[in-house]
This record gives sequence, C-alpha cells and structure tokens, in this order.
Amino acid sequence: MSIALRGVTKQFGDYAAVEGIDLDVATGALMALLGPSGSGKTTLLRIIGGLETPDAGQVLFDGQDATLWPIGDRKVGFVFQQYALFRHMTVFENVAFGLKVKRRRERPSAKVIRTKVQDLLALVQLEWAHDRYAAQLSGGQRQRVALARAMAVDPQVLLLDEPFGALDSQVRHELRRWLRRLHDELHFTSIIVTHDQQEAIEVADTVVVLNQGKIEQAGIPGEIYDLPKSAFVHRFLGQVNELPVKLRDGRAYIGPIDIAAAADMQTGSTKNIALIRPHEVEIGDVASGWPATVVAVRVIGPIVRLDLCADGQPIHEPLEAEIGRERFEAERFSLGQRVGMRFRRWQVYPAAA
Amino acid sequence: MRVWRARDADYRTQAPVKAAIRARNSSRGTVRAPVAAAWAVAKFEFRGKSALITLIDLPFAVSPVIAGMIFILVFGTHGWFGGSLKAHHIHVVFAIPGIVLATIFVTFPFIARELIPVMQAQGKEDEETALSLGATGWQTFWRVTLPNIRWGLLYGVLLCNARAMGEFGAVSVVSGHIRGLTNTMPLHVEILYNEYNYTAAFAVASLLALLALLTLAGKSFLEWRQPELRRATHLPRDRTRRVNT
Repeated sequence: MSIALRGVTKQFGDYAAVEGIDLDVATGALMALLGPSGSGKTTLLRIIGGLETPDAGQVLFDGQDATLWPIGDRKVGFVFQQYALFRHMTVFENVAFGLKVKRRRERPSAKVIRTKVQDLLALVQLEWAHDRYAAQLSGGQRQRVALARAMAVDPQVLLLDEPFGALDSQVRHELRRWLRRLHDELHFTSIIVTHDQQEAIEVADTVVVLNQGKIEQAGIPGEIYDLPKSAFVHRFLGQVNELPVKLRDGRAYIGPIDIAAAADMQTGSTKNIALIRPHEVEIGDVASGWPATVVAVRVIGPIVRLDLCADGQPIHEPLEAEIGRERFEAERFSLGQRVGMRFRRWQVYPAAA
Repeated sequence: MRVWRARDADYRTQAPVKAAIRARNSSRGTVRAPVAAAWAVAKFEFRGKSALITLIDLPFAVSPVIAGMIFILVFGTHGWFGGSLKAHHIHVVFAIPGIVLATIFVTFPFIARELIPVMQAQGKEDEETALSLGATGWQTFWRVTLPNIRWGLLYGVLLCNARAMGEFGAVSVVSGHIRGLTNTMPLHVEILYNEYNYTAAFAVASLLALLALLTLAGKSFLEWRQPELRRATHLPRDRTRRVNT
C-alpha cells in the first residue's frame, strides 16, 4: 500500500508537533523517519497509524483519503519500543490475539489460527517459546514476538516506533539486519521511527530527517549523508568538526587554509561555518597544512580517533580526526606530536543555522 | 449472653446481613462507574478531563451528611423528583435504594483513585496495540485492560467495601433508621448507645470491628499477592485462560 501525507499538521496545545508535512511512501518501501526527540517523528507515525488525528491535512492510503479511518480499518501493524506484549498472555496467545478478536464471520477456525501462529513464530525463530510469558523472554525475543503479533493480521503497512531503542547494540544490529531481510521477503510498506542515524542509514531505502515538526531533508541514505542540505542534517547524521570561515582580502579561509574566493561563498550570509567530518581530516607533517598538536589518541577497533588542537583555535575545542588502523600502526602518532592538517572535504553553511 | 438481648429478635440476625447486602449491592454499582471513569482519565485525552477528576474527588471533600441532604433534596417527598417517584411507587429515600445511592456516592473515589495510577503506569501502548490488531473498544477493555488491573481493582473494591460497611453520615440522613428495614450496623450502634443499651452497642460495634479486621486481613493478602502476580511469570495457566476467553 502506498501512503501519502498532504499538509499534515498537529498541535498539542500551543506546541506544533508537526507542521505542514508532505510525504510520499511508495508501496513496498522501507522509510526511516529520523530526528531528535521532539522533532515530531513519532506523532507523524501515530497519525499514519490512526492513533492521532491531524488538525489539518490528509492521509492517503493508495490514493484514498484515510484521514478519519478508524485504526482497526487501516491494516497497519504497530511495533512499539517497549514491546507492549500483553503480560497476562503467553507468546502464542499474544500472536493469536489479532485473529481471535475478529468478527465471528471473519474469524479463522482454531486450527487455522494455530497453524498460522506457529508459522509466524517459526518466521521469528521463536517456536520453542509459544507457552512462555513476556517476562520470561529477553528484550530481543519480546520484540520479535511483537513483530509476529503485528504480522498476524496481514498488515499492508508496518509502523515501527523506535523498535530497537531499548536493546543493547549487538542485538540491535542483528535485529536490524533481520528486519531488512524480512521486509525484502514479505514486501509490505514499512515506516520506522528512530533517532539513531546509523540505524536509519543501515536499514532504510529512504531517510526523512525531521526537525521541529518539519522535514529538513528526504532522500536515499547515501545522499543524505554526503550531501546534507543544512547544518542541522549535517550535524545530526554523524560526528562533525565545526570551524568558523573567515573572509580576508576577498578570499575565504578555514584557519590558514584558503578554501575559495569570497564571492563563491553563496550562503547569503557574511558569517559562515564549515562542517568537516572526522574522516575528512587529513594528517601529514607540520609543513603540509594547518599546524596542530595531537592531544588524545583513542584506538576503536579498526579506526583510530585523534584529538587535534589546531594553532589559533581554543584549546578546549580540539578537532576530531579519524584514520585507519593500518596507517596508525605505520606512523604511530603520539601525544604532543606536531602535525599538519588539511581537509579533504567540507561544507559551508550560514553561521546562524 | 446479655449481648444478644437486644430489642427485637429478628433484627439480631438481620443487621449484619443487611450490612453485607448493602456492601455488596453498592460495591457492584460502585465498581462499574469508577472503572469507566478511571479508564477515561488514565487512557484518554479529552476536554473536561480535569473537571471529571474534580468530580471523582468531590466525595472526599464533601461531608457525607451533605451528600445525604442532597439526596433528600433530590429524591425526598418534597424534593425535585419526589413527586414523580411517588407516582410510580418508587421508594428511594428511607429505603434500600437510598442507602445504596448514598454509599455509592461516598465510596466512588476509592476505586477510581486506586485504578488511575495503576492504569497510568501501564501506559496506553497495550490498548493501542490491541486496537491496531482490530479489537473493538469492548474487546480491548475486557481482554487487555481488565486483566492488567484486576488486582488493583480487587483492592479498590475491598477498600470500598470497608467504607460501605462503616458509612454513617450520608446513610444516617437517607435511611430513616427503620429497624429491620433500613437500619445499618453503624446506625444501630448509635441507636443502642442513645438508648443507654451499652452492652448491645458495644457488641454490635465489636462485630463491626471484626468485619474491619477481616477486611484488613483481605487487604494484606492482596498486597502480598499483587507484586508476585504482576510479574505474571508465576501465573498459573488456567487462571489466565479464564480471563482471556
């Protein structure tokens, strides 16, 4: 099922949770709504699912106006961060719930229900747990039960609200990949809400970055990461170093590095900042670039992160640089060492943003 | 033995029975409305919610005697509905319905106040999930909400029962103190005491105290069971089945 939002707005008292959102989700797509807390991503998901009614605007399912459809008619499956498993029911009863509450005419026979629930439990690899209660399962297992329960009623849309937020990073990583495989096999339309940029980039076809109730940018994950349209998106999608851009004699500089003719800085602002990701910082001998001192070295598995205090920059705001482990093994940067920095890439934004 | 030498023979057996019936009747009536009110307050956002909360707390703030007087004002012979009630031969004041109504009013907050925090702590996600799975409002309430609150509810009913047995002020006004008909144990204690029948008064009072002790025992029992059962792990299977189906 394709979903479209047209000018969707929702206020909570004086606070605008979402404002004039236009969004299209193609059939079978896996979209991530990414944003900090309070950005309106969960509200948007709840509006699509029918748990909230928008104050203005339309929700279209396959082109039909579904804005006021009751939640039960929308064919959506919900998965929440806290699993929301029914505590007093076994895993089997949880998954069977959606089938058992159907109207008598539509309700499958007990035998059909049993087969279907068993199939779903097999899909989430939890057949052995059918007579357990939620309290007896781990977080990852509970979330898989919640997924099986949502899929029992054959939803056309799966809405996941920070589904892996309460899990530790190993399980999270595993479940993400598993969800992606499941999505590719079963072809429903999925929308996942997350504040974890890595999760969004890893799992989704399309990432929509939200900020203060508005869409900042939407696109495929690689494009959003490489070509952020605003400083907000740039900052939100990963670590960044922020440096002021100074104009001197018609040229623009980051520190002593000449980056462009001032006339080419088309930000419409005279005060600008440059954002540079840690892996875009290049390190060589002192003479090769902006002189700096190594003030911290952290080896994190395959990468090594260096804190560099550039000359002329405040001491308490060191820049972060990332280099590969092999390079580090070969060159052995040590504390206090003097190096020269250059930037492989940067992006300039008006300072106010 | 002098204990039982109270005035009329019938009454001795009837008073506790009446109290029990009254406690049961009003508990039954008192359960539905407050559960509905607590559900509304804990799980939904709507206009007038704070007004409803105030209304729930009203019986705590108002003296029960005033509640009794209001019932007289509304249902009494010269009250607003007195005429039409009389025309249909419905007796409210100075009869059992009046006592039940007065008790419901006084005990209303007990269950609601007990349930609201329990329901709020459990959040709305269980209900939202049930709705998204196609359950109707009723199915959601019976199969998801109620099983989760049943211990809190039982606790509230117990408190409410205790309050109903001991209620004096409101019932004193509306009952009319008709012995063997509309008299309740606390009222009877007062009558006996005013008649200088101390022995009998203390006997009935002791009986009432005994019921209170039983209630306390029940309360302790529930408090002891509750944390264990909330974890649901130790829940015997047949019990959950009964709740679900």
